[in-house]
This record gives sequence, C-alpha cells and structure tokens, in this order.
Amino acid sequence: MIEFRDVRASYDGRIPILKGVDFAIGQGEFVAFAGTNGAGKSTAMRLINGLLKPDSGQVLIDGVPTTQLKTSELAHRVGFLFQNPDRQICCGTVREELLFGFKALGELDAQAEQRVDAIIERFGFDPDADPFLLNRGARQLLALASIVVLETPVVVLDEPTTGLDFRECVKVMEVISQLHRAGTTVVMVCHDMEVVADFAERVIVMSEGRVVDQGSTFEVLRNPRTLEEAHLVPPQIVDISLALPLMDARLAESPVAAADTLNEMQVAVETMAGRAPVGGFVLEEAAERLQGAPGPQELQPPAVPVPSDSKEVLR
Amino acid sequence: MRGFLEYVPGDSLLHRLNPVAKVLFAVLFAIACFCTGNLVFLAAMLAVGLGLAASCGMLRPTFGLMKAVLVFSLLLAVLLLLTTPVGDRLVDLPWGYIGTGSVLAAVTTIVRLEAAAIPLFLVFYVTKMSDLSNAAVKVLHVPYKYAFTFASTVHFIPVFMNDMGAIMEAQTARGIQFDQGGIVKKVRLMAPLCVPLLVSSVRKTNSSAIAAEVRGFDLRTRASGYREYPLKAADWLALVLGAALLAAAIALNFLP
Amino acid sequence: MIQLRDFCFRYRECSQPAVMDVNLDIPAGSFTGITGPAGSGKSMLTYALNGIVPYCYPGDFYGEVLIDGHDTCDTSLTDISRLVGSVCQDIDSQFVASVVEDEMLYGLENFGVAHELIPARVDEALEAMGIADLRDRLIASLSGGQKQKVAIASILALRPKVLVLDEPTAELDPASSRQVFLLLADYARRHGTTVVVVEQKIALLSEFADLLVIMQDGRVRFADAPAAVLARSEELLSIGVNCPRSTTLMNRLAAAGLYAGPVCTDVAQASRALLEVVA
Repeated sequence: MIEFRDVRASYDGRIPILKGVDFAIGQGEFVAFAGTNGAGKSTAMRLINGLLKPDSGQVLIDGVPTTQLKTSELAHRVGFLFQNPDRQICCGTVREELLFGFKALGELDAQAEQRVDAIIERFGFDPDADPFLLNRGARQLLALASIVVLETPVVVLDEPTTGLDFRECVKVMEVISQLHRAGTTVVMVCHDMEVVADFAERVIVMSEGRVVDQGSTFEVLRNPRTLEEAHLVPPQIVDISLALPLMDARLAESPVAAADTLNEMQVAVETMAGRAPVGGFVLEEAAERLQGAPGPQELQPPAVPVPSDSKEVLR
Repeated sequence: MRGFLEYVPGDSLLHRLNPVAKVLFAVLFAIACFCTGNLVFLAAMLAVGLGLAASCGMLRPTFGLMKAVLVFSLLLAVLLLLTTPVGDRLVDLPWGYIGTGSVLAAVTTIVRLEAAAIPLFLVFYVTKMSDLSNAAVKVLHVPYKYAFTFASTVHFIPVFMNDMGAIMEAQTARGIQFDQGGIVKKVRLMAPLCVPLLVSSVRKTNSSAIAAEVRGFDLRTRASGYREYPLKAADWLALVLGAALLAAAIALNFLP
Repeated sequence: MIQLRDFCFRYRECSQPAVMDVNLDIPAGSFTGITGPAGSGKSMLTYALNGIVPYCYPGDFYGEVLIDGHDTCDTSLTDISRLVGSVCQDIDSQFVASVVEDEMLYGLENFGVAHELIPARVDEALEAMGIADLRDRLIASLSGGQKQKVAIASILALRPKVLVLDEPTAELDPASSRQVFLLLADYARRHGTTVVVVEQKIALLSEFADLLVIMQDGRVRFADAPAAVLARSEELLSIGVNCPRSTTLMNRLAAAGLYAGPVCTDVAQASRALLEVVA
C-alpha cells in the first residue's frame, strides 16, 4: 500500500517539482504514471523509495511515513529499476550482480543463492558473463532480474522500455507482467502509451507537478481533456476509435467506440462490415503463408475471437 | 554536490573581468598567501577573499569549500601542533611540548589554506570554461589543444559528479547504507561503485572526443575564436593588485 | 547525394562484420529513416556517413561510401565533417560549452566561418529549432527536449548538406519527439538538406521519411517508401520491428479481404479508410 498525502517536493530545496500530490496505490495493483518529461513522475518514484523525502505532506508505505523508515528498510519493501541499467550494474559477473542485492541487504545466505540460481535458469542468463559486455537490452533485463530476485512486495520501474527495441521491450514487459500476476504491486513510469494500454490496470496522469487525472487505463486514455492537458499521445487504436465517432455519428453507437485493442477493433470492424468476426485466424494463416511454418511465438494470435476483457500484448 | 565547479551566470565585476586576468590574479593571490607567515596579513587576505565571494553572490558555495578545506587543513594543523615545539610551554608531550608558537603555526596554516583556496575556487564559478580556454588561446597564445583539454576536464567534473550521484542513488535503492556508518565503511561500500563510473566515463570521454572531431576540432587556430578578450583597465588593475599583494607578502618577511 | 556500394565493415575485435552488402542510394534533399532491432547495424550506417568509420574505429572497411561524390576513404574526416553534420546518440557528451550560445559558436569557429556571418547563423539555427529564447541559458538547466534541440541547432548552424542523427528522440516523451521531427523536417525542406535519422519510433519515421530502411543482422532488409515497407507488417514483426498499430490493423483487414486501399501509415489515414470499410 502506497499513499501520497498532499506531497510537496523540490529540487535542491528551491525549485518546486511536486505541488501537492495525492494518490493511493493498493496492494497487487499495476499502476502506470503518464505525463511529459518534467511533469514530476520520476520525482514521485524517488519519493516512494525514500531517495527523496517530501518537503511537506506524507508518503506512506504500508501506513508508515518514509521519513521514519531507513533506506534499507525501504529497500526491503520496494524494488526500484532505474531508467539506465548502467547506474545499477556494478559487479564483474551476472551471478555476482544478482547476489549483490542480497549482500546490500545483509541477507546473503543459502536460500538467497538458491533464488539467484533459479532466476538465472528462468531468464536463461550465462552466470559467468561480464555484465558490461552485454548489450543494452540484456543489461536492462539483468537489472530487472536483480530486482525481481529480491521478491519485494512493491516494484517501481522508471521507464523500463526506453532505449530497447521491440523484442527486448516484449521480454522486459513479459517479466513485469508475470510479477504482477504473482501478486507484486507494480508502479511504472512509461512514455509509450501502447505499453501502458497493454499492461496497466490504472493510470495516474501528471502534469506540471500535479495529478491531473487518474482512473482505469482506458477511461483515462480516452478522455480528450486529459490527453490535451498532459500532452499525451494516446495508443493509436484508441486514437482511431476516438476519431471515428466524430466523423460519423452512426458509429457512435457501434462497438468501435469501445474497441481499445487491436483485436477488439478488428472484431468490431468485421462485425460492422457485415462479416462474422474471424479475428486472429486470418493472421495465423497469413503468418504461415509468409513463413512456410507457424510464426514465432509473438506472432501467434489467440485461437478464438478475443473476449473483451483480455489484453493483447504489445501489438 | 550538484553544481560543483559549475559556472553560475551573473553580471558582477568578477564575472565581467577578463578570464586570464582572473586566473592570474587568483594565482598571484595564492602565492602571496604562501609567501608570508604573518597571521594578520593572512587574515586580511581571507577577508578580501570572502569580500570577492560576496561581490559575486557566491558566499554559499564558498562556505561549502571552506568547510572542505577546513577538514584538510585541520589535519595539517594538528600535525604542526604536535611537532613544532615553539613558544611558551602550554602542554607537555612525551616527545616535546605544545607551545604558543605551535598554536600560532597551526592557526596560520588553516587561515593560509582557506585564504589561498577561495579566489582559485571562485574563478570556476564566475568564468565559463569556454571563455577561459579561448582567452588563454587569444591572450596568452596557449596552444588550443592544451586549452581545450583543460576546459574539457573541468567540464566533465560536474558530469561525473552527477553520474556518481545517480549511481549512489541506484545502489541506495538496493539497500546499501551510504547514509550510515563511519568513513571506513562508506569507502568500502563505494569502492565497487567506481566500476560503473569508470565504464560510463570512458564511454563519455570517447564519444565526446569524436563529437569534437566531427565538429572541426582539428581546424581550430588562434584566429578561430569568435569572441575577443582584450585586457581592459579593470583587468590591468586586477593584475597590478595581485602583484602588489605578492610584493607586500614578500616584503613582510623582511620587516623586523 | 549519398551512395553506399557493397559497403561492409568489421570491427577489429569482432569476427562478424557489423554491416555487410549495403547498397543504398539516398537522393539529395530526401528524409531517410533507418530502423531495425538492436545490434542490426543501424548506428554503423551513420558512422559510415559521417566518417567516424573508417577514421575513429579500427576495423576492415570494404566497398565504398560516396558523399556528394567524395569517397569517404579518400577524404579527410574534417572535410567529411564540412559536408555531413552529425548529432550523436549521447548528446550530453557532445556539448563542449556550459551556455547555449557558446555551444552554437563552437563548430562555426572551428570551420572558420567569417566572424561577421556568425551572429546571423546562430540566430537562424536557434530559430529553426524554436529555441531563440534559450540563447543565454545554462545547458545543464535545460530539459531533455531542449537539450536535444540545442544539439541539433549547433549542427544546423554549420549548414551541412547532409544531417545524420542517431536516435535523437530516445530520451524524449512522444510529444517532444514529434516536435523535434517536425522542426527538423521543416528546416530540411527549406534548405534542401538531406536528412538521415536512426530511430526506434517507427510511427515517426513512417510519418516523416521518404525512404525507410530496415536493417536486420547487419544487412539492409528493406529500403523503400514507408508505405511499401509497412505493407509487410507481419514480416517486419518476425524480424523484431513493430509497425504502427493503425498499419497492422488495416493490413489485417486487407488480408481478411475487407480493405483493398493503399497501406495506412498513420491514424488519420486508418480512420478514413475504416469509415469506407464499415460504410
């Protein structure tokens, strides 16, 4: 449970960054923070794990103000992935790097080693590789793994997909999504609204140091006033479905108005065009024709027309 | 530590002086401090230094510097206190004694280091490094390569400090307790962090060298600089003042 | 303006070439976007254009790279730099000055631009990037988007015939990213500058580029008009390049036999096309 109560914070004690911020994040939620550079998102993240203390107001973690918690106590509760993995990685091998978090917390024991070995297995890492020789995507994944292995109840991610290519981005988001399914509270700052729409349950929108909107992901991303105020670029599918009712009143009552993902949109259009929705089947056939074999895993669409509550991953 | 040795824009007299004049004055000032042991003179120099800092609105960072210098000079002062048995006996030591002279020597060392450091330190805050290197090329005919190397080195100090800050922050988030424990423990914790700093520094200096090269670094000559840095009356005055201080400091040694 | 003929480069410490068999023709005044998965050789292409290869990184260079008719191997790095302006990936290490105006002067001074012409050049470049008001600001006090504009403006002031940018929007939010592209495209159109930009955000490239180059494992996989490249959205996906979703949607509808129009590269086109589909 993370709670901000009228939090004000500043840079160097002079330039105000947060100007009275209130929100609460419940256990097990997946919340994304959206807004432009400089809106105060990263500052809010640093307040959550106590790297920064509020000038006034309170930041509560499980009901305890961060001002009363030591950094190490906070580190037990909140895992933090920084935007640049190079700031975090400091050991000579992948295995040492994964163990380092336990060392820092003073919890290096047999159980910790077991957990590290399990995560090496799960991520398919080479335990003896030199982290500094890995490419950017692999370093980001290692930095993420070194947070995951600590099994903190809350994980905070500052732009986890920046600088990654599409495949790396899918990999990183898969790990985060698994964490969330396992019950971890996930708080993520992310500029890519496609990623936000695919994964977050709830969005908190910030602009110029204030929270300007918060709510369920699509409620927020379909609100033209919010988009304008926070200079957000909505996911393309939402943009299309926002544009359609304006162009043709007839469409306002059609299923397109609520088609928020690619598959929903496809199903809706097919229905409206007087066709039984075929959804992903077509794609699968197309993929087979192109490849001469079933496509790679991320190419495989769901076998049935997608129920409206399912989330399509990153496509 | 943000902003350490970083230029702060302003319009004070010190900001407007010729960069070369500023540096030479600061150097003359510092030499003068080391040329005399006269405590009154040194105290006056310290006051002048603080006056200069106040004139350009840099008192806050100056106090920060003084604290840092104090730590270092205290070490020297204690050493002097214990090893120079001079003057009236105050405290007996197994190998000698601490006398009034020892105390005087210790205090003199502290004041001297503080006074000498301030103007040198101020130069960085009131001078853009690009101005300093360009002026050194134009006025002193220093080869541009050396001037640029020096300017880049100073330019990178705040960059690396910020990097270090960010790295420490990232490690703090993992639970390392930089905020607790003695200095030995802190150093032990910080040692492994030098690796990421080193890696990012090498990358940065490398790409910065390439960036300078593709912007025509090799073509630059003394005539290239757009800005001119003529020495004006105030600059000559500063130089004369610096020389006078040095002369006064040396002269004090010959007074009875 | 730019010709690459069988270009191949292998870093000295690597066994595999970073790029190979690259043949590209980039016409004067065009806007070229290069994208592809990590490690596909995108950055290496920019190094080949601005002379960093072969001059700064040791390795084996095969084939030829011609810029405005000059073979980069027979032209000094400095002379290449007169033709090709480059904005590096890590702009923080590109900066040499602490104040915006001094940063603008640096290249102009080095290339010996007549001192009486310098003020006009500085003004023009700052205005082109919409940052005339930042002239006296400390670079350290600027936001990421502003810094990026300063980095670009300091190169525009040199009036290069070719402008090469390596991931100029990597650290920027979508609104600032688009603004950087808009300003850049506008400047290039007015001055006839040839622009080559490496970028992960394919939606931006498909909006602004005339030529879209997709790299895969060191080779050029596609090099064509964006619409022609994006028509292969499923193929692109299989090599790790994600098309704009409006494109993917319309391509899927086309595959389902519901849409037969041209490939949609942005939201506006897709919205219009959808109205026809459901009409």
